[in-house]
Amino acid sequence: MYVELKHINKNYGNFQASKDVSFGIEQGKLVALLGPSGSGKTTILRMIAGLEHPNSGEILIDGKVVNDIPATKRGIGFVFQSYALFRYMTVFDNVAFGLEIQKVPKDEIKKRVLELIELVGLKGMEKRYPNQLSGGQRQRVAFARALAPNPSILLLDEPFAAIDAKVRQELRSWLKNMIEKLGVTSIFVTHDQDEAIEVADEIIITNKGRVEQKGTPIEVYQNPKTAFTASFFGQPSELVDYKQFNTFKDLKNVDKVFVRPEFVKVTKKSEQQFYKTSAVEGVIEQIFFRGNTLELVVRVGDNVFTARRGLDEELVEIGEKVDIFLYRIFVTSGDEAHLVQNQSIREESLVI
Amino acid sequence: MALFKRNKQVRVIPGFKLTLGITIALLSLLVLIPLASVLVYSFKLSPSEFWKLITASNVLNAFATSIVCALIAALINSVFGLILAWVLVKYDFPGKRILDGLIELPFALPTAVAGITLSKMYSDTGFPGSFFSSIGLDISYTKIGIVIALIFIGIPFTVRAVQPVLEKLDNQYEEAAYILGSSRRRTFRKVIFPELFPSLLTGFGLALARGIGEYGSVIYISGNSAKDNTQVVSYVIMQKLERMDYASATAIALVLLIISFVLLFVINIIQIRRSRRISVR
Amino acid sequence: MEIFDQKEARSRKITKYILIGLSVLFIAVMLILPLASVIVNSLREGVDYYFKALSTDYVTSALVVTFIATVIAVAVNTVFGLVASWVITKFDFKGKNVLSTLIDIPFSISPVIAGLAFIMTFGRLGWASEIIDSINSALGTDIQIVFAIPGVVLATIFVTFPFVSREIVPVLNTVGKDEEEAASILGAGGFKIFRKITFPHIKWALVYGIILCTARALGEFGAVHALSKTRGGTFTLPLEIDALYMSGSADSITAAFAVSSLLVLIAVAVLIVRNVFEFRTKSKNRKGK
Repeated sequence: MYVELKHINKNYGNFQASKDVSFGIEQGKLVALLGPSGSGKTTILRMIAGLEHPNSGEILIDGKVVNDIPATKRGIGFVFQSYALFRYMTVFDNVAFGLEIQKVPKDEIKKRVLELIELVGLKGMEKRYPNQLSGGQRQRVAFARALAPNPSILLLDEPFAAIDAKVRQELRSWLKNMIEKLGVTSIFVTHDQDEAIEVADEIIITNKGRVEQKGTPIEVYQNPKTAFTASFFGQPSELVDYKQFNTFKDLKNVDKVFVRPEFVKVTKKSEQQFYKTSAVEGVIEQIFFRGNTLELVVRVGDNVFTARRGLDEELVEIGEKVDIFLYRIFVTSGDEAHLVQNQSIREESLVI
Repeated sequence: MALFKRNKQVRVIPGFKLTLGITIALLSLLVLIPLASVLVYSFKLSPSEFWKLITASNVLNAFATSIVCALIAALINSVFGLILAWVLVKYDFPGKRILDGLIELPFALPTAVAGITLSKMYSDTGFPGSFFSSIGLDISYTKIGIVIALIFIGIPFTVRAVQPVLEKLDNQYEEAAYILGSSRRRTFRKVIFPELFPSLLTGFGLALARGIGEYGSVIYISGNSAKDNTQVVSYVIMQKLERMDYASATAIALVLLIISFVLLFVINIIQIRRSRRISVR
Repeated sequence: MEIFDQKEARSRKITKYILIGLSVLFIAVMLILPLASVIVNSLREGVDYYFKALSTDYVTSALVVTFIATVIAVAVNTVFGLVASWVITKFDFKGKNVLSTLIDIPFSISPVIAGLAFIMTFGRLGWASEIIDSINSALGTDIQIVFAIPGVVLATIFVTFPFVSREIVPVLNTVGKDEEEAASILGAGGFKIFRKITFPHIKWALVYGIILCTARALGEFGAVHALSKTRGGTFTLPLEIDALYMSGSADSITAAFAVSSLLVLIAVAVLIVRNVFEFRTKSKNRKGK
């Protein structure tokens, strides 16, 4: 493990921002710290950077405990949420700053800075000041500035939060490619799960100061291990009374039940129904057009949840009675979550 | 001693100990220790002595004069402060920038210069003093003179307290209220005034605090007559100092200090409450 | 305001003119008239007398004393203002609010009390007078604080103490500390951060703070009045104005106004600088958006 946190605790007065946080990150990986606001993800990032001190526990970088090493000596690059560009310096001077501090010879600085500026696609803008750049360009400068002194770890705090939606999409793939190309171990903080799934090699999910789960985006998405992850990832709806669905009547040890839209099959009465016996009747309550799909809010008894239908399928209407079939559900008991398949899928396929 | 301890979190920015040390050292040497000397000396007086000194009739009269005149001036300044701030924020007219700039004149002008000028202007040989005395109204060497000097000194406090709040108050508030059918008077009373009130109170408090302790701009126009009750507190302290009556001077100064601190404290509370209310939104 | 109907628009216009009228009247009577009055009074005996009044030995001596006190006070308060605003805006620590309140004390207490404070510290009854005496007897010097130039300087520092920091703190609070943190992670030391990152943000606030501090130091009266008793020796310009005015003859009153006119000119210059400064920051903020 290149970066490792061992049993980290951090308090602000009575507020515990980190509770027994432990995880490791391999060299060269791009890792997302994902969680709702107040979940302690930024605190973890700032502790790795050395901007905060843990109350207990150890932080290791490249096998060495760095708790007592100041931020400036940890060999990290940090991209601030607001970028924190030096407003009274040009793009060139911003990127050159860290190298000047290290007393790198002038002509080397110039070479490296121009290289970096070209790398981030801002060639020709060396003489501009931060207020003459767009949000996306500023982020690129912040990125180049953090990379200039050749850090062994790059830390990014909500790198896309200050950018408007259109540019954000483009910047995400740009940043992913760039970090892959450079091979620098990177950790970024985000509250946006799409962003984490799309950009990261690995996701660490945080909640209330704890690490809930760590894994590749597919692992975490497919197999939520904790109640929180199950209720957070995807677009889950909670079923208030799961007993109203025939096939799930006999579950034991259940605290909560969640379904994701892709777990739900909505069939019009006129359409052919595969799992007739185990489907229940529901009513369409709302319809949202989401571009490539229709998002439906469906009611079955007391349960209200989200489902989807493709645009190539026949349209449904608000108030229409439809058949609802659940392929699978997430069941939580205590802190754990597991997936429960609909039994009838196997049974009925046997019949056919 | 937990005070001035850096919170547990590390700050990467260097220089905390050095700058805090210099700050506290200079503050203590140049401000706090000298002020403490006043306290120390006044604590040497027995309570009964202290009481006797500060309840001497000319001292009580001076406190009454200072407080009453400062109150009246601060009230007048609140009214004009509101009007001036309103005019400077809401309307455009030629010369507005100059008007705006002049508001700070009392901050920039030495108090003694303001004092002799106002005294001269409102004496029976000056303008507009001669006009007022011809209709039987003496201003210089009366309490009216003191109030005028304190209005002069205090006006920037109220204008500058209200102005920024009014600037932030969006015109849309008013338009929304108007569209909802609210009359202008009602809009002002129900929508705008409550927004301005805390800052108006802050301005009032600052002007009052300044007015109660004011010296240079007041002592010429007031005439400093014990008989006419036109001595202000600061003048009495200075008079005691000149007569080497340090016991009286420190006793009076202590009371004046307490009044200032209470006012400062109240103003701080108003401001903290206001910032809390804004941050809740 | 097209949303208002005609009647409403007219009544709004009337209110507007009444309020503008009131404001102009108030400022004319309360602020402009006194300014004009100083100039008129100072020239009452003619231009020759005006310049003669400005070149007496007393006035020259007062100019020198004022200059010394102002330069020292501004230097001390500039250093203090920079250091204090750095510690207040760049760090979180317990007692920060207490510290900023304490720094503002000189702003809100009577200047006469400031004078009294130094008398009670360094005067005959003051606890520090013995220290000064023993220093004097040990070194064979004759340092006097109270009723001497050092007292005047101390009083001037006291009353102008918060001026520079008051201008810088709000600017640094709006700027935040991200840039300093970023620079620090890149390895920059404290002085370098200040010079390259912080200073460009505050230079105008600093200039304005220094100017305001200068103006107040030049014009301080109450505190110095308590500590300075020798005309032609330890008197500052405002004290000289007081002495001229209180001597009562028509000539000397005119001379008092002549000396005052010097300070008025400085005050007006300060106002102009302030407005230029504010205009700069306001238009820059607008551009920033």
